[in-house]
Amino acid sequence: MILAIILVVAAALALIFILSITVSRSLQVSNRSLAGAIQPLDLEAFRNLTDAAEDEYLRRRLRPADFRSVRRERLRAMAAYVQVAGRNATVLVRIGQSALAANDSETAEAAHQLVDQALLMRRNATFALVKIYVALAWPNSGFAAKPIVVGYQQLSGSAMLLGRLQNPAVPVRIFAGM
Amino acid sequence: MALYCLGMLQAHSLLWHYLWVAPSVLLLTLGFGLWRLRVHRQHPFFLVFVLASAVEQLTLYVLDITPSVEPETWWRFFWAGLILEGILKFALLAEVFAHAFRPYPAIATLGKRLIGMVGVLLIFASSMAAAFAPLDSLFGIVSGAHLLQQTIYIIECGILVSIFGFSSYFRIGMPSADRGIALGLSLSACVHLATCALVANTSLPDDSRVVLDFINMAIFHFCVLMWIYYLLVPRRASEMTAVIALPENNLALWNRELERLLQ
Repeated sequence: MILAIILVVAAALALIFILSITVSRSLQVSNRSLAGAIQPLDLEAFRNLTDAAEDEYLRRRLRPADFRSVRRERLRAMAAYVQVAGRNATVLVRIGQSALAANDSETAEAAHQLVDQALLMRRNATFALVKIYVALAWPNSGFAAKPIVVGYQQLSGSAMLLGRLQNPAVPVRIFAGM
Repeated sequence: MALYCLGMLQAHSLLWHYLWVAPSVLLLTLGFGLWRLRVHRQHPFFLVFVLASAVEQLTLYVLDITPSVEPETWWRFFWAGLILEGILKFALLAEVFAHAFRPYPAIATLGKRLIGMVGVLLIFASSMAAAFAPLDSLFGIVSGAHLLQQTIYIIECGILVSIFGFSSYFRIGMPSADRGIALGLSLSACVHLATCALVANTSLPDDSRVVLDFINMAIFHFCVLMWIYYLLVPRRASEMTAVIALPENNLALWNRELERLLQ
């Protein structure tokens, strides 16, 4: 009987989970307000946080206990940045997906690149968060999030290209924050 | 699809006959529609699944109402249909997964690995569930069928949850037809798992089992209608995703930030 109850509850939860995803998708905010959902992100500050040389400098200058405390603060800040970057990537996935249907092949291609890189960014952000939380437990361990920075820059480039193709009139050059 | 067998060889209501036969007839119609609209080229396993399910259920129905058919013969057919259906369902899930994630190489491999790992865990969990279930030695063929159903539904539900969860996490929009197929399979699998778990692991009275049968049949009927809607009803233009342009103000903001970065 206990097994039956467990399975019934599991089935109910699975159904609720799937239906909630389906319903939330259909109730999602309009595509047009998506770009406004992107939060600005200071890439330079993030680079500073992920700079191994900076960590090494702090390690030399501070007492071990102080260093661990500072390092944890920096890791928490890093996690906050990565979370925002991940969220921005998901917004860009949706923007890119909406542009995939474009009749213009150039725009569709740019949208495809944007989606792919945004997904890569989201994936990297997920893995980076795991690494950051692990590093929080062992603040003395070396950790650098360089691939995130590189991925973020590539993502910005793709979004810029898509923006330029969709809005040729707008004098788009290069952007850093998302 | 599933537990109709519980009240086998008994006098059934008209609703019972309708709920058993109508979904199969609708499935055949759906199969014909898929073929005619050439949708089967994108969803070959779904077409095979639809036709096989229809033939399986109609065969079981005919065997059920034929007085000369022995219960054991009926159960043997049920077993064969269940195994075939299970194999087709997993092929269909692979098809849905491929349609949803293959266009995105950045996460396709990760998704495959994740589903693979989830699959292994589900096989282990379903084996454990089957091992702890009470086995009726007198009607082993019946209780065995219920356990096999339970095993298939546990794995099916788990994989569907993984597909939906993965696509939701990455905000991947599944193609409409695949979303419909996956949604129908999910609804059917979750409800069937719950009813099957009750039948396989408890000693329910016959009346309660009949109620569960009705629930299963009604849900499956609904799922078939859902598939017809998603696969045969043409999408309106307004349902297509509108192409949007990135807003100017955001772009300008981003421009300024990156220019500062590049200095």
